[in-house]
Amino acid sequence: MSEFLETHKDTLVLWIGAICTLGFYSILYRENRIYRFFEHLFLGLAMGYGVANVWTDTLQPKWWEPLVHRGHWWLIFVMIIGLFYYFVYSPRYNWLARLVIGFFLGVTSGRAFQAFVNDYWPQIPTSFKPVIPHGPVTTPDGQTLPALTWSDALNNILFMVILLCVMSYFFFSFEQKHPVLKRSAQLGRWLMMFTFGAIFGSTIMGRLALMIDRMDFLVNDFGPQIGGPWVMFLVLIGLAGLVLYLSKRAAERGEDTGAI
Amino acid sequence: MLRVLRFLQTVDRRFLYALLMLVVVTPFFINFQLPARVSTATRRLYDTIESLPEGSFVLLGVDWGAGTRGESRPHTEALIHHLMRKRLRFALLAFDPQGKKLAQNIALRLQEQYGYREGVHWVNFGYKVDQENYLKAFGPDIIGTVKQDIHGNPLGQLEVMKGIKNANDIALLLDVTGSSTYETYIQFLQGPYKLKMGLGTTSVMAPEAFNRLDAGQLVGLIPGLAGATEYERLLGIPGKGTRATNSSNAAHLLVITFILLGNLAMVMERRLRAQGGAL
Repeated sequence: MSEFLETHKDTLVLWIGAICTLGFYSILYRENRIYRFFEHLFLGLAMGYGVANVWTDTLQPKWWEPLVHRGHWWLIFVMIIGLFYYFVYSPRYNWLARLVIGFFLGVTSGRAFQAFVNDYWPQIPTSFKPVIPHGPVTTPDGQTLPALTWSDALNNILFMVILLCVMSYFFFSFEQKHPVLKRSAQLGRWLMMFTFGAIFGSTIMGRLALMIDRMDFLVNDFGPQIGGPWVMFLVLIGLAGLVLYLSKRAAERGEDTGAI
Repeated sequence: MLRVLRFLQTVDRRFLYALLMLVVVTPFFINFQLPARVSTATRRLYDTIESLPEGSFVLLGVDWGAGTRGESRPHTEALIHHLMRKRLRFALLAFDPQGKKLAQNIALRLQEQYGYREGVHWVNFGYKVDQENYLKAFGPDIIGTVKQDIHGNPLGQLEVMKGIKNANDIALLLDVTGSSTYETYIQFLQGPYKLKMGLGTTSVMAPEAFNRLDAGQLVGLIPGLAGATEYERLLGIPGKGTRATNSSNAAHLLVITFILLGNLAMVMERRLRAQGGAL
């Protein structure tokens, strides 16, 4: 059996991949048992794969091996402290769980400060951009700053205007009655809407990329298994035709019109 | 007339799915390439890798899985191509369990083409948990933190790790990700050690990443599928990204067309009804 699996590994991978992909795409017709089956299969696989990796790549080399084979007996306390978390279910001993939770809250809070400083502070000074065009400039310490063209300057002005408008939208300390502040906050809100629109557009692009990858797998990787990419293409068209036929019948019966 | 307008606003979603599938697959069989301009963000990352001396050590984060394979695989492939072509040493490090295996497969497939050997020119550190704490320990002592590669070989004995002790020895940090792992890299490795860092990210994550590019925290950025195509163009190696871009463009045209048609039909129907045209 194992020899068979080893010999036909590549073929099996392609067939299983194709069946799973088509099983998942069956949701596009409607909710069904095939889709449910593959959904649960994937959830279980992903969880099992993750747990196995945590053991082989982290717990085994960093904890089990030193503890059992190299005599680092003190590592047993790591597990004991970890198990303290489960005292959260005990009304009598849950103070032990609070000890370990408190410790990790402190660690996480401290780390959050460092994360904030390293992530956001560099973005503050770089938000101050030059807005007057100039040629190359040499600073007193010998650094040469590149020239700023008219188009760069215009870009920087646009950046500054957008930055200030969006920030003014978040002034909640007082009522925004002043006409300038009111208008800039309104503009800030519009500009954020544009950004959200752009992000949503990017999301569509990302989702399409996933679909293209699966179609590429079905047609170009799996296709040769059943006679070539063209055969797989025809199979896909046949499946789409079947779905449309079933959809039409369902709509005629008034079960599901498929309208979004 | 009204029936046509109604139809355009209530098209069966399954009809759209079938059409989308057709539009995505058809470009696989047609040999054409739409023109694409290489963006500054992508070119900057390419130029940074080009400027590295031979033998420099690069850390390549591969924090992606099957969920973002469509975008992250072309990124990883293009970057590994470039690293091998430039004769740079590199290490794969995954904070996604699938990333270590998927990237390993790519590196194994490409290594023959460039005469690379695992353990000598590149290494896979494997999958690690708790990225924040891990990077805190990784920065000052790489060998002591990672200990062994995915095959269980002691890291200190591998030729690829010669002269590499801490994060200061990393010439370039790269992360290919479909999540926010690159932010943690900035917070706990790039920032504290002032490393050059490049990013390959999904389209969804790209808009936020541009802030970091402007702030100089990133030296370059490959955004989504479009970025992958641009990078492949710079390398002169048309790969998965280039092939997928034609499908992506066609699918976008379809989506835009139906959005326009649906909205146009809605406006026209309202006008007709306002004019009392029960047609």
